[in-house]
Amino acid sequence: MRMLLWGGVLTLMVTSLGWAQNGNSVVEARAVVATDAVHANSPVKLAVLAQVAAGFHINDHKPTLDYLIPTELKVDPSDHFTVKSVVYPKGTLKRFAFSDAPLSVYEGTVVVGMLLQAAPTVPAGTYTLKAKFAYQACNDHACLPPTSVPVPVTIKVVPRNVPLKPVESDVFQRIKFE
Amino acid sequence: MEEQTPSENTPQASKAPESSPPENRAALQSKLLAGALLALVLVVGLYYVNRYWIAPAVRAQTKSDGDHPLAPAFSLTDITGKPLKLSDYQGKVVLLDFWATWCGPCRVEIPGFIELQKRYADQGFTMIGISMDDSPEPVVGFYKELQMNYPVAVGNDRLGELYGGMPGLPTTFVIGRDGRIYAKHVGAMEPGVFETEVKELLAASPTDELKDFHQAGRIFQDDKVVLGDPATIDSEVPGINLTKLTADQKEAYKKILLSQQCPCGCKLSLLKCRQVDRRCSVSLKLAQDQMDAFLKNRSSGVATK
Repeated sequence: MRMLLWGGVLTLMVTSLGWAQNGNSVVEARAVVATDAVHANSPVKLAVLAQVAAGFHINDHKPTLDYLIPTELKVDPSDHFTVKSVVYPKGTLKRFAFSDAPLSVYEGTVVVGMLLQAAPTVPAGTYTLKAKFAYQACNDHACLPPTSVPVPVTIKVVPRNVPLKPVESDVFQRIKFE
Repeated sequence: MEEQTPSENTPQASKAPESSPPENRAALQSKLLAGALLALVLVVGLYYVNRYWIAPAVRAQTKSDGDHPLAPAFSLTDITGKPLKLSDYQGKVVLLDFWATWCGPCRVEIPGFIELQKRYADQGFTMIGISMDDSPEPVVGFYKELQMNYPVAVGNDRLGELYGGMPGLPTTFVIGRDGRIYAKHVGAMEPGVFETEVKELLAASPTDELKDFHQAGRIFQDDKVVLGDPATIDSEVPGINLTKLTADQKEAYKKILLSQQCPCGCKLSLLKCRQVDRRCSVSLKLAQDQMDAFLKNRSSGVATK
């Protein structure tokens, strides 16, 4: 009887498999700075953790096919922080029903690193940078339009004599900053 | 000292098949066979439960209201510069395909559409492609590369909204000779699905609604045809129906939206964001919230004329 029930549930799932998500909710993202605060005139390591909804994928930053829209992390210009480099993870090669060749994609949790430089003159205080995680998502049989999710980045600048504490170091161990 | 595998400590390990007598082995084989047969019966049973019980119920639900609405009219210029009006195809069966060059599942369907156009164009059928790309350049390149043999135009968000919004691409509408939408398919489908539907509609009356049309292929909840409301789509605040407001109230409402910044990151007022970025879900929700508050205040007689 239990097997029959599970079978029924499975059949219902197969029958009603459509878009589990609507609109822009396929990816959720948050930013984390490598230390609880930063000093002026110093490098600032930042990570954006994007969670791609189950069943969906987004394209690699360097997609395998030229028509695919790459995933990108963009930050609005700031007087106090400049972007030195962005480190994207390597995608996973995966086959899909709609492509003969395997495509390099991101699924699950995507961690993008960004190296910023704090200006020498930035006064102590709390700053918010506006970042955007831009992506274009598909599942095996359909795609959503290209879109982006805002990722506010809060950076606290403290005087040089204040020691800094690492934050979520396990996340930053996964990023190869150059 | 030798390593012990975990299974050597378990009671089951001492009852390994190779140490069993032949009668036990035969009994085990019988059990396995019975299990396999039960699984087969279950799979076949579930197939029939789905085919005759669940799928028809979903099908009935997708068709429950409105049956086959008239396809919204549109007038565009195709990528070769010719006018493309849906009304020019009145009396024909039309497959209206919303797609984009950046969409893999969309691209994979195109050769099948080219084939359908070859086979059925002289029987009163046409494909129409509406690309949802931001610009015509990649569309023109793809059109030439695949030697597409049917009209293709670059669409816009308004047209997508008139057709009920695009939950995903490709989204294909199957329109009968009478101008009604008989089916909507979200996601890539096998060409045979469209061919079955096109043949059924080609055989139907050009004037009377085909009440018992059978949608082919898998059917999802998103396949239900629900068209957009033109009063909301063509509103001065796109996505918000202003028809219940007087002219003064409209201005007052717009003034509220103009005074607030949209937090989506566009650096525009709520009003401007709605007007320039119809896809922005942040400004849509906030504008709707403001409308709800405005209507509530109006009913309680606060700050309205």
